[in-house]
Amino acid sequence: MGRLLKIYMPFASNELKRQLAYRGAFYLFIITSLFSSFISYYLWMAVYGSSGQGVLGGLTQNEMVVYIFMVYVTSSIVTVSLSTWVSDDVVQGTVAMNLIKPIDYRLSLIAKALGRVSFQFLAPAVFVWIGLEIYKVTVLDMAPVSVMGVVLYLFSSGMSFLLFVLFDFCFGMIAFFTTYIFGLRMVKEALLGFLTGQLIPISFFPEAVQRVFGFLPFSSMIYTPVMIYLGKYTGRTLAFMLLRQGIWVLALYGLGSLIWKMVTKRLVVLGG
Amino acid sequence: MIEVKNISKDFVSPKKYPGLKGAVKGLFSNEKVVKTAVDDISFSIRKGEIVGYIGSNGAGKSTTIKMMTGILTPTKGTCRVAGINPNQNRKENAKNIGVVFGQRTQLWWDLPLGESFTILKEIYDVPAEDFSARMDFLNDVLELQDFIDRPVRTLSLGQRMRADLGAALLHNPKVLYLDEPTIGLDLVVKDNIRRAIKQINEKYQTTVILTTHDIGDIEELCSRIIIIDEGKLIYDGSLANLKDTYGNKRKISMEIRQPWKLKELHLEETFGVGEDGCSTEFIEETNSFCVTFDKHRIQVPQVLSAVMEVTEVKDVQIQETELAQIVKEIYNHGTAEGR
Repeated sequence: MGRLLKIYMPFASNELKRQLAYRGAFYLFIITSLFSSFISYYLWMAVYGSSGQGVLGGLTQNEMVVYIFMVYVTSSIVTVSLSTWVSDDVVQGTVAMNLIKPIDYRLSLIAKALGRVSFQFLAPAVFVWIGLEIYKVTVLDMAPVSVMGVVLYLFSSGMSFLLFVLFDFCFGMIAFFTTYIFGLRMVKEALLGFLTGQLIPISFFPEAVQRVFGFLPFSSMIYTPVMIYLGKYTGRTLAFMLLRQGIWVLALYGLGSLIWKMVTKRLVVLGG
Repeated sequence: MIEVKNISKDFVSPKKYPGLKGAVKGLFSNEKVVKTAVDDISFSIRKGEIVGYIGSNGAGKSTTIKMMTGILTPTKGTCRVAGINPNQNRKENAKNIGVVFGQRTQLWWDLPLGESFTILKEIYDVPAEDFSARMDFLNDVLELQDFIDRPVRTLSLGQRMRADLGAALLHNPKVLYLDEPTIGLDLVVKDNIRRAIKQINEKYQTTVILTTHDIGDIEELCSRIIIIDEGKLIYDGSLANLKDTYGNKRKISMEIRQPWKLKELHLEETFGVGEDGCSTEFIEETNSFCVTFDKHRIQVPQVLSAVMEVTEVKDVQIQETELAQIVKEIYNHGTAEGR
């Protein structure tokens, strides 16, 4: 384990350093992504205001505020476009350079993703989070999150991260067959917006749809940790949710290994 | 060290039709085109050898290298590098090999060069004392210290190539694959790279496989060459042997005083050889008379004295057939029998 860390940590720290080198682009990204959180904030406030009901889809107006911004924090911790790296590697043929080293391609990508996520978490997700807690207590008059809540949330987010990168690795494998996956990535992002609960909490959907979503791995990526943070899951439900995340991590890990084996059999390296 | 047995690689791609109509047709057709990039090649290479692996563009050189490094799976046949099948044990094999693809870099584009080396040290698990000793050696032969602090993206091509070579050697690999290591480099850097390869080969007994289009690389480095063409092996043997078999032609150019007297000269008859044994050519602008002949059948002095009998000679130049010429001829013919 220690040896594994020693080999793959450089990939993480390397990505962190790279992000620091190109921070201009990254701050621009932060502003635009926070912007969309505020849009969804005003939208939901209007929805609650006009509905005349205190609780929609199981969430009060104040919980909705927490939901919106915790989705932002969670997606900073969880989402990394690993498939973009895979498709770049395929298009530019650099995947060959990864294969001549005694390393596992997937693990190196996950380590790199960890580096990216640490940066996203430090700047600015953690500040948004702290700001949200302060706002919650002072303005919304809600109780601050418990230590146990934070621990459970971080644990579940960690699982979500693994789930997401393992899924995106499988998705990125498509690039080996089609070379370009830009269009597919757009489709994937649009679908994930719904399926992960990023746009609309899954509890807003009809019962039958919720059941289907529950069966898919995507709701475990963002919806689950945010609901845990909100304290919506307790006792056996909580254990079940965490277990479901764990099972999906294992399943996607297995699937990824299988696809990778297939891919390396028919790999074609582009360009020279 | 390396055993390649009857290795073949086919690439299958969907059939493409020309034009817009063809593009639409391609959407619905399921026809496949099979291209054999490497066709039943076998050879074995001993420890410490430097082998030049040459062939025209698209002959299948890089494909063979990629199979030996474990990147590509052969369609047929097997290969073993240091006793390991690179395809089944890619990671194990990767510890034994170093690779430089001249057109690519394995370094981290955004990081200072020194950091790339530190990362490689971890990846290959190089002990600290070995690392510093090897860095000293690499600094010596490749002069890396001038740009060790600079991000890789700011390096010039020559510096980058030296850095890449250094990176491939950091873990002291048993086998070093160099795919066009001197492509696009100036003469001085080329010389440095060649010297470095030689020193490394001597010091560590590293087996080197080199693909190149630069004849200079081959003449300076390789004792043995393998030539492939259209995926087939057409020559495997020593450089001297190749020159012997194909470089039997010699050319003498003489600047002469009385060109009109050449009519009296009938070299083929004088030596009793046919067209292929001896041919002549006169270039009027420079007044030079060129004789190309088989060096095994006719000696240089014989030619000279025959010419001097009829005309006065001002200047003489004697040329061996160059390796470049030989290789060009082999590429054109596509076959070579000498083994």
